[in-house]
Amino acid sequence: MNFAITLHDITKSYDGFTAVDAFSLEVQRGTVFGLLGPNGAGKTTLIKILTTLMRPTLGDAFVEGHSVLTAGKDVRRMIGVVPQENNLDRYLTARENLALHARLHGMRPAVYNPRLDELLEMTGLAGRQHDFPDTFSGGMQRRLVVARALVHEPRVLFLDEPTTGLDPQSRRSLWDHIRGLRRTMTVFLTTHYMDEADALCDRIMIMDHGHCLADGTATQLKDAFSRAHTYQVEFRNDADRYQGVLAGLPFVKGVERDGSLFQITLADEASIKPLMDHLAGSDIRRICLKEPSLEDVFISLTGEKVRE
Amino acid sequence: MFRGAFSIWGRDMLVLRRSIFSELVSVIAYPLTLYLAFGFGLKGYITAVNGVPYPLFIAPGLISMTAVNAAFDESSWSMWFHRKVQRTIEEYRVTPVTVYDIVIGKIFSGFSQGAVKGTVVFLVILILTPFRIDYANLPMYLLCIALSSMTFSCLGTICGTVIDKPENIGRVQSVVIVPLIFMAGIFFPLSSYPSSILPLIQLLPTTAVFEGARDALLTGTIPSQYLVNLVLSAAFCFTVAVYTFNRKMAE
Repeated sequence: MNFAITLHDITKSYDGFTAVDAFSLEVQRGTVFGLLGPNGAGKTTLIKILTTLMRPTLGDAFVEGHSVLTAGKDVRRMIGVVPQENNLDRYLTARENLALHARLHGMRPAVYNPRLDELLEMTGLAGRQHDFPDTFSGGMQRRLVVARALVHEPRVLFLDEPTTGLDPQSRRSLWDHIRGLRRTMTVFLTTHYMDEADALCDRIMIMDHGHCLADGTATQLKDAFSRAHTYQVEFRNDADRYQGVLAGLPFVKGVERDGSLFQITLADEASIKPLMDHLAGSDIRRICLKEPSLEDVFISLTGEKVRE
Repeated sequence: MFRGAFSIWGRDMLVLRRSIFSELVSVIAYPLTLYLAFGFGLKGYITAVNGVPYPLFIAPGLISMTAVNAAFDESSWSMWFHRKVQRTIEEYRVTPVTVYDIVIGKIFSGFSQGAVKGTVVFLVILILTPFRIDYANLPMYLLCIALSSMTFSCLGTICGTVIDKPENIGRVQSVVIVPLIFMAGIFFPLSSYPSSILPLIQLLPTTAVFEGARDALLTGTIPSQYLVNLVLSAAFCFTVAVYTFNRKMAE
């Protein structure tokens, strides 16, 4: 068995609302798996089920072969969790936070003290280890939560929106730490940030309303869902006239205009030639194929409507 | 077994140790004021109750009150704070400890706080006032304090587990805990009650706490009806606290 995480038809409902609906998944050991989705998609519910904080209504999930239903304690031995909100103990110093976590995992001081030194050094917090988390910046607190999740050397690390609310420098610094974990453990990451998923994940799944919508590498998703026939055309003049021309062409599926810049979606790749035939070459300042981003894929799958 | 409970209790004791002086000043001030105000203020009017000098009559109850209040406060506010504000309960729950470890750790923290603070108030009253006891009676008194603190720590844990709004914990204290304490005869003998309601008052766990403590400290024995009440209350509250917390965590 080469899967660190397996979910079999997991369903979670509360008060008539189905947060996760017959969701199945297998995550390869040693990879960084990214779960994307808008608010309320079911990502956090899945993490809560996998970390034994919540029981599924139907189905079962396994972490390193241990069932979340029948072997919760064994699951918790295997996992490290970075929750959405920092849940550090503000009455304990940074080092004491890590030490308490180690003791809850049954580690003895002789074993955990060198590990704490190593983690505090790795996260750049060694100099502040005797300070209280309240005195830390958001980025430092987040790094401490990550360090805490790694104290007992988990085999699977769950990161629930780990960089939300961080400044760009802190985000990049945390990304470096996560990249450093690649291959040494399985990382299960949820995020809203497409660039984060693009930069970190070996495999990405997009979910919404408790269902999987797309699954693959970032490149595969962009290829499969990209608007490969979308071109950006900028006119020197007569933009209004060209808007009328474009509207009348049967192979033009969509036109978005921003001043003299048009974003034109064609029916297929072959439509580029007739398009050029209909546009006067001398009026075109530039034309280029629009490269898709992961965000384009995400929006095309989950829609543009803002979620509560 | 209970390794997790011990770790959580250890964490709470570390935090208590850090703030012990400020904690104790605030804890001592209230019962000491009551002792001075009632014990000395009313001494000229109430010389003795059932042959016991009034300051000596109220002292055991004030010490017990400190212990049970501290146990209730620590358990309720700590559980609420760790569950709703700091969310450290969630951090504990993703480690290999069980929910039993967590609730038992928290109950023992409340119990320990009650015991420490009750002992300190006892020592302060002993040092600052003419209050004297027969030290041979101390073991029975400590047993009474331990059972009482356990009961109130469990009650606090239940409140901290089921109550989400902090103001409601304050309301429980005002509407339930304080009346139960003051009805139980800290400042007056139970014989002052009309005979029709006396049997009900004697069934209250707080009556067992304060009457039991007074008898234990002054005579070295806890009347059997109070001892049974204390043991059953502690056992019942412990069971309910563990069950409630387990249910809450499964939601």
